[in-house]
Amino acid sequence: MQHRFNVNGDEVEVTLTKTDDGWAWEGATVNQHTRGRLHVTMADGRTALAHAAKVGDVWWVHLDGHTFALERMEPGASSQQHGGGLVAPMPGKVLETLVEPGDEVQAGQALMVLEAMKMEHRIVAAHDGTVTAVHHQAGEQVAQGAVLLELEETN
Amino acid sequence: MMKKILVANRGEIACRVLRACREAGLSTVAVCAPNDQGTLFTELADEVVLLEGDTIATTYLDQSQIINAACSTGTDGIHPGFGFLSERADFAQAVMDAGLVWIGPSPHAIEQMGDKMTARKTMKAAGVPVIPGEEVETEDEAEALIALKEAAERVGYPLLLKASSGGGGKGMRAVTSPDAFEEAAVAARREAVAAFGDGRIYVERLLSGSKHIEIQVLADRTGTTVHLGERECSVQRRHQKVFEEAPGPTMNADLREAMGAAAVAAAKAVDYEGAGTVEFLLAPSGEFFFLEMNTRIQVEHPVTELVTGVDIVREQLRIADGQPMSCGDLHLRGHAIEVRLYAEDPANGFLPAIGPLTVFRPPEGPGVRLDTGVREGDEVTPNYDPMLAKLIVWAPSRDEALERMRRALDEFVVLGTTTNVRFLRELCDNEDVVSGATTTTTIEDTWPNGWSPLQREALVNAAVTSAAAAESFGMHRASTSSGGAGQADGPVSPFATLSRRYP
Repeated sequence: MQHRFNVNGDEVEVTLTKTDDGWAWEGATVNQHTRGRLHVTMADGRTALAHAAKVGDVWWVHLDGHTFALERMEPGASSQQHGGGLVAPMPGKVLETLVEPGDEVQAGQALMVLEAMKMEHRIVAAHDGTVTAVHHQAGEQVAQGAVLLELEETN
Repeated sequence: MMKKILVANRGEIACRVLRACREAGLSTVAVCAPNDQGTLFTELADEVVLLEGDTIATTYLDQSQIINAACSTGTDGIHPGFGFLSERADFAQAVMDAGLVWIGPSPHAIEQMGDKMTARKTMKAAGVPVIPGEEVETEDEAEALIALKEAAERVGYPLLLKASSGGGGKGMRAVTSPDAFEEAAVAARREAVAAFGDGRIYVERLLSGSKHIEIQVLADRTGTTVHLGERECSVQRRHQKVFEEAPGPTMNADLREAMGAAAVAAAKAVDYEGAGTVEFLLAPSGEFFFLEMNTRIQVEHPVTELVTGVDIVREQLRIADGQPMSCGDLHLRGHAIEVRLYAEDPANGFLPAIGPLTVFRPPEGPGVRLDTGVREGDEVTPNYDPMLAKLIVWAPSRDEALERMRRALDEFVVLGTTTNVRFLRELCDNEDVVSGATTTTTIEDTWPNGWSPLQREALVNAAVTSAAAAESFGMHRASTSSGGAGQADGPVSPFATLSRRYP
């Protein structure tokens, strides 16, 4: 059985092989246990009980003291990337807009200041570029994932 | 005699206080904002008064609504918890003016300690050592910036900018060189004005390599003032504590006695009553300096409770009722560690996270205490502080306490919302944490470019296989693995109930 997951930003193709009472991939085998738990044997021979729960398209897995959030990509879907857009990391309020469309900015430069959970957060440029749009002004409430500004990368 | 207590707080600390009241045979009233309806603390109270309003300012910070709630329910006293109105002298006064008992120190003591500048003067006069620094009090922003810059030159770099009426890391900025000063000062002032309505900024020398040591004090109306030993809370990120322990790993009896005596002197200087904490910076030289006094119960109070056997919240209730405190001489036993579980992404600058607590399974077993205000199925929202729980362990020795904490954190399952649980777990293996050589810059020094989890390839592959297998098994369609995110839980199986009752 085939699945695709977003693992820390990389697209990973998983082809499961059927075993007696479970599934295997890359040396790991997983058997169903009960109530959201799985019996896992890792490639290095270690065994552990995993907890798994799905929220939206994301499988949350707790394994051996580590927690993973693995987005499952539906067949045919492309990974969601806002082309050059800078999105709100959480819901909050725009405190200050530091740039205007047309401004040349450098990587690391602060573009906007957001307030959420009583703390200030800076939205910074990931690369050198030109601001092509500013979608929100000071005082506006923004939802998580809202595109705040758009930045065109300088070649 | 107090018979009924209103808790003017929410979440984890409201639960802690409501439980203490229940144990003391006191009936309880909770106040709750509309967006907190149905949360855990409202279920632990005998009565709940719904506050009107959609912001913190119009609910948990609305003094008259809270006092009206107390009066209309026949409450005798108000416990403020921490944060919110706990360190507001005007609220303490208004509570007493309404004929209610204020479970905390006098408005005068809160005022004296709440204003960092006044506190400094009072402490100097009482012979308690203070850190070199200056305050700038100017309304006009441009003038304030010039005055701050001048003060910074006199105090010297590296320095710390703090909101005079601040706390919890808000309005606080570390500045290492004059180039970065202006931007930091503007941001600190803005945060100070937004959070406290007060733009006064305090400039202070940053003592690097220091430990954050605080002394718990208790004072009652019969004139007894005692200290309950120290807590070390050096490990901080963004000036917020994440790992706290008692006793301090490098503390000795002489230093404990000296710092304890200074803390008692600090409390006596303001005629302190109730529970309070005197915070100090302990420099590598062995000198200690007064930082501030928190005139309320503190987040990390459980570690002191576990090593001293004193129930600090219960003592607060007793003292406010005019009774003498019940604890005698200080006896420390074993070692306790607390970590704060936050809904945040430590791999992304500790940015707060939100989401459903689809699975929330805290660790259990010997020596484990969990203080929380959430349970499985709750939603983490951006409305309040992102602290989900405090995990506290006790063991006979520090090494065993660390071993127990590692075990407990490995058992802690939170799915649906990103938390710092793995960061806390790695912290328990950190060289300085293991040796006890932690300082206030341990986190920055260990992870100067930010933290990311150490994960073996076999583990990551096994996790991905688990997710793929779970999908293939159709586990997301089974009622046992759903919940949160708007999914209704399936009917409870009678067998599940049975097996829980008759294991």
